[in-house]
Amino acid sequence: MLIGLVLLLLTLGIIMLASTSGAQAELTYGDASYFLRRQAVWLLLASIAAFACARIDYHLWRDISLPLMIFCWILLVMTLIPGVGVYMNGSRRWLRFGVINIQSSELAKFATTMVLAWWLARNQRRITEFRKGFLYPLTGLGITLLLIFAEPDFGTTMLVAAVGLVIFFAAGVRISYLAIVSVAGLGAFIIAIMHNEVRMRRIIAFLNPDKYAQDEAFQLLNAIYAFVSGGASGVGLGQSLQKRFYLPEAHTDFIFAIIGEELGVTVSIGVIVAFVCIFFCGIHISMHASDTFGRLASLGFTMMITLQATLNIAVVTGCLPTKGLPLPFISFGGSSLVISMAMIGVLINIARQSGGETLEKSVKDKGHRF
Amino acid sequence: MTGRPGWYEWQGMTDNKYNWRIICVVALVMLAQVGLGSRLVFLHMGENEIYRERVARKRKLEQDILVGRGRILDRNGETLAMDLAVKDVCADPAVITENGHVRFIAEHLARLLSLDSLWVASRLNRPHRRFEFIKRFVPLDTVEDVAALKLPGVFFLDSSQRNYPHAGMMGHVVGFSNLEGVGSAGIEQKFNKYLKGTPGLRISELDGRRHEIYARRSLDIPAQEGSDVYLTLDMMIQYFTEQALLKAVEEHHARGAWAIVQRVRTGEILAMASLPNYNLNEYRTSTPEQRRNRAIAYNYEPGSTFKVAVIAAGLDAGVTTPDKIYDCENGYWMYKGRPLRDYHAYDQLNVADILKKSSNIGTAKIALELGNDRLMWYLKEFGVGQLTGVDLPGEETGILNPLQRWSSISPTRIAMGHEVALTALQMVNMVSSIANRGFLMKPRVVKRIVNTQGHIVYESEPEVLARPIRAETADTMIRLMARVTEEGGTGRRAALDDYKVGGKTGSAQKPVPGGYSDSAHMASFVGFLPADNPEICIVVVVDEPQPLHTGGVVAAPVFREIAEPTARYLAASPDGWGGHETLDIAELSEEGAAL
Repeated sequence: MLIGLVLLLLTLGIIMLASTSGAQAELTYGDASYFLRRQAVWLLLASIAAFACARIDYHLWRDISLPLMIFCWILLVMTLIPGVGVYMNGSRRWLRFGVINIQSSELAKFATTMVLAWWLARNQRRITEFRKGFLYPLTGLGITLLLIFAEPDFGTTMLVAAVGLVIFFAAGVRISYLAIVSVAGLGAFIIAIMHNEVRMRRIIAFLNPDKYAQDEAFQLLNAIYAFVSGGASGVGLGQSLQKRFYLPEAHTDFIFAIIGEELGVTVSIGVIVAFVCIFFCGIHISMHASDTFGRLASLGFTMMITLQATLNIAVVTGCLPTKGLPLPFISFGGSSLVISMAMIGVLINIARQSGGETLEKSVKDKGHRF
Repeated sequence: MTGRPGWYEWQGMTDNKYNWRIICVVALVMLAQVGLGSRLVFLHMGENEIYRERVARKRKLEQDILVGRGRILDRNGETLAMDLAVKDVCADPAVITENGHVRFIAEHLARLLSLDSLWVASRLNRPHRRFEFIKRFVPLDTVEDVAALKLPGVFFLDSSQRNYPHAGMMGHVVGFSNLEGVGSAGIEQKFNKYLKGTPGLRISELDGRRHEIYARRSLDIPAQEGSDVYLTLDMMIQYFTEQALLKAVEEHHARGAWAIVQRVRTGEILAMASLPNYNLNEYRTSTPEQRRNRAIAYNYEPGSTFKVAVIAAGLDAGVTTPDKIYDCENGYWMYKGRPLRDYHAYDQLNVADILKKSSNIGTAKIALELGNDRLMWYLKEFGVGQLTGVDLPGEETGILNPLQRWSSISPTRIAMGHEVALTALQMVNMVSSIANRGFLMKPRVVKRIVNTQGHIVYESEPEVLARPIRAETADTMIRLMARVTEEGGTGRRAALDDYKVGGKTGSAQKPVPGGYSDSAHMASFVGFLPADNPEICIVVVVDEPQPLHTGGVVAAPVFREIAEPTARYLAASPDGWGGHETLDIAELSEEGAAL
């Protein structure tokens, strides 16, 4: 079920990438299939990652979660160093390895979930304590958030913070602590945004899109135009006009708008339904996981994927201000795809090891061989 | 790998508690999804007409495809008006001010385009503007010089400029078209419809970079380039005419002079010139007086040249014969209490000599014999007081008062070309009809219009307007008019060595308020040749020549200067005198009988 849904979304993603990226690729690289070929390579890598994660016993991640987190922090710090990190579109989010750029915050999404799950599961008995149950993991999460925030990448910061909170919440941390830290964190976040002119203008533009139609709200309005011109039935695959340089980032963050324009309301609702189903699969896996670490890790990954999709769709449909979050499995982007697929792989592994009712018990044993 | 399981076992929190918290999360997530779903449905299927319209407006491309204007050529294909490819030099002041290059660029542009650098700088120093014309219609070689400097923020737009290679020559006929490409005078105006072509229309959609998406083109009407207009006029004859006029104006200190050369059998105008004139390429600095085509837009009292109409009418009506003798009263005749004088005094003259010597008294008596009604009928038949319908804008009708406004002496005054006004075109056309066996032809200046595919879209045909007199009367008149240029005639200075010329002089005092001027005259000559078989008719009018003022002295030599080279030129041309347009005389005669 989960695999089928993911494959469905991946298929839709690659088809839509073929449809949306042509014009931009033609203009920038003189080769209409430039993005498509890159994404095919990434898809191969992501499949290998997913396959590997499905085979590796997820408890391995528990044992290496802290070193992984520390490695991740190092990467994030490196990203921030000018000359090492690649500067693009006003922020420093990428590390260059040869021909490929890696988004270190994507790896941080994975590592943070693992380390939180590990810590909170380990300290399950002291979960209501302030220091062990709350302060220490919160500090870890805080370091990650600050490093991502510094890039700056507000979307991913929000996403990781939200998922972190959900993991805390599910692990049984006192709601009063969570409430206080949420309010405090949100306040700090808002102040930080107000001090960042670009983000502030995005928010003002979001509130008055018509006034800023040529500047900050350009993307937003053109995304809305895409859905509107798509109508109920869509204009047909490949027939989108908005992708022809009206909608920037048509093949990455705003690909969902083009899906809506070309394929109509059924497919765009279908995408939401698919993510909801993935969500329920993930919740199901979480609720039937054989141990607390499995529960929390699977819940975290499920939330990562679902919340990211939700935030992306909310931005594209004009419900939230613009931020740079790709749509999992569908948007162009290597790091995001590999990490999302790895998460799915881990979810499958957790499902295989859960007690009883999963598909094959034999697979579980196979998993133990690794 | 699953070692130390106890450590990680679910402790301290019940499944129920966990499930409760999970359900909260699920509920929140689902709420968000439902919200997004409704938003999607609203966007896809809601009433979003405002958005839809906005998208359509942003994408719509409705483009007129502009075309080049057709050329104007003379009958032999000599180009008189054409479009030249030029460029407009433009600038993006925002870019230039931001780079701080205003002075630098202004100096370069000013130098290359011969402009004032301060003026250019003031144009460039507008940081909020993205577009300024620096100089329009710049020739391509200058544009190359500017482009070679690669000045940032300076760019060029394709344009075209109307160019008149012969400057002022034939200017009143050709006319000019304004900066917007609309013909505003002469042929440029009258045939603007053909010259301007049909702009194409393209309706399509644009992508985000404002480039057309070819697959979305919904309408594409190709442009029809402007057609070429071929005139009946001949550059050579026009040249003879203009040179003769220039010389006459200078020699006689005249205010102006105009002349028309017409082919009598077909009505084609071979030359039409008017002084003062102007350079078509610089029409904007010309005055209305210079732009006025006096040959068709100036009513003048013709004076004695008009006698041919009255005598032809008298002969045609049968009230007189060439040999009939009239008493010319020794140059002074009191009629109805008003004196009528002759320039030279004569006692007895027959009709032939009345014409030859240009006796006012003799012609007046013929007019009186004819009677007002018949005189009026003939004048109207000759086209007096009516538009000839020539294919040029701004033609005047001339002035012929209706009978009820005639006084008792009106016929005697009209007989000598006063109390009546004509344009030179009407005059030459009238005399042409006498030379053309009585057929009054429609004068025309456009021979044919050819589109860019080479198809003839319009071709003018000889057209008979009226037949005022019978062929026999016409023949008689030709003989009588030929005597005018003989020894003892007023027009002997119009005579040529090789061809017999028929014609009539005219010297009219210009009307001024309250009467006629003593010092301002109109000297004119109208004539045709060869007199034994007329082919071309020429009218020459000189406005206020000083101090000599008679048509025989002032205008007749101009006629000769035009006629002599023209005759030689036409006789030598492959088409011959009559041009290649042949006319079925039998058909004309039938038409004439009907008239």
